[in-house]
Amino acid sequence: MSETGFFTDTTLCIGCKACEVACKQWNELPSDGFTFTGDSYDNTGELSGTTWRHVAFVEQVAVHPDRPSPIVEKWLMLSDVCKHCTNAGCHEACPTGAIVKNEFGSVYVRPDICNGCGYCVVSCPFGVIDLIDPIDEDRKYAVSTLDEARRDANMTALQGDGGVAGKCTLCYDRQKIGATPACAQACPTESIQFGDLAELRERAAARVETLAARGVEARLYGADDVGGGIGALNAFFLLTDRPETYGLPVEPVLPSTRQPAGYAAAAGAALALAIAGWAIFRSR
Amino acid sequence: MTPMDRAVLKAPRWGTSVVAYLFAGGVAGGLGIIAALADPREESGRRLRRTARVAALAVAAACPPILISHLGRPERFLHMLRTFNPRSPMSLGVWGLVAYSGVAGIAVLKDDDGLAVVQAVLGAFLAGYTGVLLGATAVPLWGAGKAHIPAASVCSGIASACALANGLCAIGGNAGVSGKLERFERLAAGAECAILAHFAATRGYGARRLVERVAPALAVALVAGLVHVPKRRATARTLVAAAATLTAGVVFRKALIDEGKRSAREPGAGMRQPR
Repeated sequence: MSETGFFTDTTLCIGCKACEVACKQWNELPSDGFTFTGDSYDNTGELSGTTWRHVAFVEQVAVHPDRPSPIVEKWLMLSDVCKHCTNAGCHEACPTGAIVKNEFGSVYVRPDICNGCGYCVVSCPFGVIDLIDPIDEDRKYAVSTLDEARRDANMTALQGDGGVAGKCTLCYDRQKIGATPACAQACPTESIQFGDLAELRERAAARVETLAARGVEARLYGADDVGGGIGALNAFFLLTDRPETYGLPVEPVLPSTRQPAGYAAAAGAALALAIAGWAIFRSR
Repeated sequence: MTPMDRAVLKAPRWGTSVVAYLFAGGVAGGLGIIAALADPREESGRRLRRTARVAALAVAAACPPILISHLGRPERFLHMLRTFNPRSPMSLGVWGLVAYSGVAGIAVLKDDDGLAVVQAVLGAFLAGYTGVLLGATAVPLWGAGKAHIPAASVCSGIASACALANGLCAIGGNAGVSGKLERFERLAAGAECAILAHFAATRGYGARRLVERVAPALAVALVAGLVHVPKRRATARTLVAAAATLTAGVVFRKALIDEGKRSAREPGAGMRQPR
């Protein structure tokens, strides 16, 4: 089976958030509550255990001396999602084997295996995965689902398992029946493209050239190795500004690459103290 | 506020249970090292070995319940035992804890010199892996301390274990080992101070704030160990000094978690991640 992924072309995003809604609906994800961020049209804020697509709005205004009010110079939108890294920090960190690479090359959390330890949360260099609270009164899911037990408890499928990690599954269930992931299916402008990774990368490279011919300087984020040991991203992006403008890390690092230094330091400290301790305890 | 000003990262969802586990793992591991160092040629040394081994087993036995309190349901602890993932310090650590508990149990039953080295090596792992676990995350403060935090964790675990063993020996009437335990404790605590001072001086990402939070507790512990008192008050002083050192161990772990959370949610956190 060839690997699949997302190519999110930010030049086509119109900020409609159809992807956010489609993802919530298909995956039975509850509301995260309403928070007013004061940040452009974005009250979603960020990805979470129960928000697997997030449309970031980058509204840059400028004040011109000859104009009475500030004008929007640039308004960028990017539908953020789990990057499904080649070398995924969450996948490496998981102590239960709940996080796996599935046959589509996507990083998938098995909620029945996950024990909610939260190590994946701190091991994601992109801040994607988070824990889903077991039952949060404020986040109760009002719409009934097919499962009566869950409906009676006002819980979604994931909440029913209680305190597990949640993130984009790249719609594993839809992919299994040959369907397109919900967000890509719902995207009205094909800003979110789903498909075979090799083909998506070709399409993305061609898009960069097309844009260049039109005078738009674009770059890809994650189509190739992003560095830091992470490798390429199965969900990659086409940007027209620097990554940090969209809230994407400039220098992400695969956390496990720090382990050798850690084990060496711990062993060194233990050995040095043991030798000194031997001198203290065994001297007559 | 733009995406650029936001934190890229998620804050650790860890609280009191994890602080308690980091501390308990350090103490249990340190006690294993002390048990191996205790001189079996002397009666007081053999008694110290026995005390350290029983305490090591007791503290190690407290670790799974602490982890379960973090996970919510007892069977969730077993999920960790369905797989072995050497890339994950948490997975390695759970197996290390299981192995250590087994060895600690046998060591208590047999009460001879046999398993001393094995218990010491596993103990060093148990005291240190939690630091590696923190260093191998995207949390900026912990990542910046990839070497300092594991080394300081080992030192803190040994210092706390010395304090606990010293307190238990004082209560048990084995004052003969007190001097050696205190010297070893001062050495470990001193090394911890040096490592943390170097961390604060050379790394960013809130390392300074972390060390400033730990420093007062460490200073109190070091001073408490140096106060001279009349001989009849020696036991009381030993217990006070031991409590101060154990407190410093808890404060270190608590500060690590709190400041780690802060560093992960600061504006722009995660844009450039420490190598």
